Amino acid sequence: MKLEFIVNDKHEIIDVYPGERLLDALRNKLGLTSVKEGCGEGECGACTIIMDGAAVTSCTILAMQAKGKEIITTEGLEKSGELDILQESFMKNGAIQCGYCTPGMLMSSKALLIKNPNPTKEEIKRAIEGNLCRCTGYTKIINAVLDAIER
Amino acid sequence: MKEKFKYIGKSIRKHDVKEKVTGKIKYAGDMKLGGMLYAKMLLSDAAHANIINIDTSKAEALKGVVKVFTHRDVPKNYYNSHKWYKGVDFPRDELILTEKVRHVGDRVAIVVAKDMETVERALSLIKVEYERLPVITSIEDAMKEGTTYIHGLSNKAFEKTIKCGDSSQILKEAEMVFEDVITTPKQHHAAMETHICVAEQDSFGNITVWSPCQVVFQVQLIIAEALDIPLDNIRVIKTIMGGSFGGKGQPILEPICAFLAMETGKPVQLITDRTQSIIGMRSRNASKICVKTAVDHEGKILARNIDADIDIGAYYTNGSAVPMAMGKKSFRMYKIKDQTFNGRSYFTNTVVGGACRGYGSPQIHAATEINIDNIARGLHMDPAELRLKNFVKPYDKDPTGGPDLGNARVIDCVERGMKVFKWKKKRSKAKAKGRFVRGFGMACAVHGNGYHGAYPDFITMTMRITNDNAVVLKSAIHDQGCGTVTTMKQIVGEVLDIHPDKVIVPQADTAFSPYDSAGTQASRVTFVCGGGAKKTAELAREELIAKSSVILDCKEDNITIKDGFIWNVEDEENKFTFGEMVVKIQNELEEDIEVTHTYKSPANPGVYAVNFVEVEVDRFTGLVKVIDVLAVHDIGQAINRDFVEGQIQGGAHMSIGLALSEEIKIDRMGRVGTLNFSKYHIINAPDMPDVRVELIEEGEALGPFGAKSVGEVCAAATAPAIINAINDALDINITDLPATPERVLKAIREKG
Ligand code: FES
Ligand code: FES
Repeated sequence: MKLEFIVNDKHEIIDVYPGERLLDALRNKLGLTSVKEGCGEGECGACTIIMDGAAVTSCTILAMQAKGKEIITTEGLEKSGELDILQESFMKNGAIQCGYCTPGMLMSSKALLIKNPNPTKEEIKRAIEGNLCRCTGYTKIINAVLDAIER
Repeated sequence: MKEKFKYIGKSIRKHDVKEKVTGKIKYAGDMKLGGMLYAKMLLSDAAHANIINIDTSKAEALKGVVKVFTHRDVPKNYYNSHKWYKGVDFPRDELILTEKVRHVGDRVAIVVAKDMETVERALSLIKVEYERLPVITSIEDAMKEGTTYIHGLSNKAFEKTIKCGDSSQILKEAEMVFEDVITTPKQHHAAMETHICVAEQDSFGNITVWSPCQVVFQVQLIIAEALDIPLDNIRVIKTIMGGSFGGKGQPILEPICAFLAMETGKPVQLITDRTQSIIGMRSRNASKICVKTAVDHEGKILARNIDADIDIGAYYTNGSAVPMAMGKKSFRMYKIKDQTFNGRSYFTNTVVGGACRGYGSPQIHAATEINIDNIARGLHMDPAELRLKNFVKPYDKDPTGGPDLGNARVIDCVERGMKVFKWKKKRSKAKAKGRFVRGFGMACAVHGNGYHGAYPDFITMTMRITNDNAVVLKSAIHDQGCGTVTTMKQIVGEVLDIHPDKVIVPQADTAFSPYDSAGTQASRVTFVCGGGAKKTAELAREELIAKSSVILDCKEDNITIKDGFIWNVEDEENKFTFGEMVVKIQNELEEDIEVTHTYKSPANPGVYAVNFVEVEVDRFTGLVKVIDVLAVHDIGQAINRDFVEGQIQGGAHMSIGLALSEEIKIDRMGRVGTLNFSKYHIINAPDMPDVRVELIEEGEALGPFGAKSVGEVCAAATAPAIINAINDALDINITDLPATPERVLKAIREKG
């Protein structure tokens, strides 16, 4: 089956098979390996992407459901060589250890900031409640998002 | 911050954050080699059974399937994946695939196919016929006489007593003895990256294995033993680590994946999903610990007896090491003249145990620190004050003959914590009467700094200063995401007075890294490997000075090194970068700046953590919310403040889980109820408090720039502090971890 959609500002047409998860299509067909698998059932957030402005877990979505949609992955955050403000503040605030949760965290926080450029700390926590991180205890991640807002 | 250092103690960014934040970095799961095949295991859904038949015909007939392996197809070399060097041995009871399954999650078959979709389909077509055997899922059942034996003729795998003085007599005669039985659950490491491995064999027959691992030389050794092939034909490369916490310490997938690559002649990627990572890899051992402590009226501990029964699961692995580690810790926190520790390990038909951040510390401190609080309650004393009467002091000896405690600063931690947390004021507040009630608790933990005094603990490192002005430190280090590489850069930068950016630190690769005796284990990396980096850099500095003095034709004493430049102090006009100097040394002397050093760990001091917490308990639902955590650490000297905080906050996360929500649940039939994160609850952001960090930096004479470990001790004190806080809030006595809402409600009911 042909899947036609916009990924990181680019029109893409790829072949997918019935039952193929969006996660696998993005990783295997488009090489977007920032999209990580941690649980395969929508519980860890490692596979989070932005679809039509909302953060979704790509492991629980069939590739075909993305037809005609606009997708952002972490690869798409960098704009003409400039990192997104969130990426900068993740680096600055020590929000990254093993880094496996990082792309998902970025996607959830980016989706939050798209809708609500001035979230409270509680709103940030809720935005990333579906993103598990075993390394950091979240504090530095939350600080990074707060710092990005300030900037 | 004392300004005595230029780079030590500074929050320099991790070397790979840019690659990680852009999503470009490649983990083993992102690797694609030409012609690579995909593999996944079929794990047992029976807890204890003989396999009578495996029908793989349908799976093998599927288009795209390369081969299906069962116990009939694999080498029958027993191994123990815990073994990390030649010269130590533990009971060998593992095979690549088994004919008799001993737990849900045991390895039954492997499918290799052209793509993952085919692998999954083929796995669902394999039919296994089991002859079921009685199942043992608890320590109590395992102990029974004449019960089912999982290996050999007893379920007891190990037993050992460690003691000083004679506690039994004192306990018998003492006026006041406080006894608690504490249980802790099996915990899943929950690294976000599930276990994975890639392997390939070249035309010479050499095998290369890529693995997010903790000890490349251990991986190499286990592959050699499991497959009975020469060790030096195996090359192991550590990949970017997506989290381990001890879970990826023992090589589990690596020998299997190497075998698949050899059999198929193709590169193979062996993957696991979350369920397999929970049931088929390793776990924190469950424990049941009975603590009996005799005290006098002033709160002085007179004697203590600890009986620890450990559930090690279905295979031996480190079934002797965990109780030993627990035992040793018991003697290094409080000064107790007469104390006995009895540790016993039992096989059960449950998830296999292994290393897990803290290595017994979280279990033993849960037990002893809850007991200490109960003593304080019994004596109507402040638990912090009671502890202060009993702590070890700096430079105390270990009463069992273990390594000296070094600059042990647990007292400083408690005193600082009491002040910052406003402990006395908070504890003295009357308890709320309504639905929500606040409680305050504290707990302490001690851990080590490597293997000195127990196992070989050394690292060989090579340092070269290049003619392009870089310093290359070659060694088998494994960054687990904690910042090991940058830590080494800072240490080297400090010694050579060159910016850490100029220091290149490649990670472990058995083909090129000098030997290291123990890898990333036992909280040894900063203390031992960091010590090695410092010493090696000092030797390189000496060599640079000696050779530069020849080039500049001056006395060695006249050579000045500062900010990456070197010059003759009497010729300020002519400063050279290290690189420029090396060019001269190479061209004029036909020499080089390269040193190799084998650094033996000089000590194994105690490292201490003290946590103060505030919780809010909902009397109606039994739900506990952690409001505040203050973690005070005796760290000697932080090499990188940001990394240290990150370790402590992450360790607290794991420990809060142990206290409140994490448990691999296994029923009487051996079935696992927590197969994914929907059932296995790790703390998420809204439930996680900000963990405040205080560091006691009094310096450890034998650590690099005074540094000690942090990565494991930080995961041990939060859980008992939380339990103590819950017990304080409601005046109950919870001793089973995790304190789930059901358990809290039950305790409230029982109190009436
Ligand atoms: S992999 Fe999609 S939520 Fe975990
Ligand atoms: S940084 Fe490792 S899981 Fe978040």
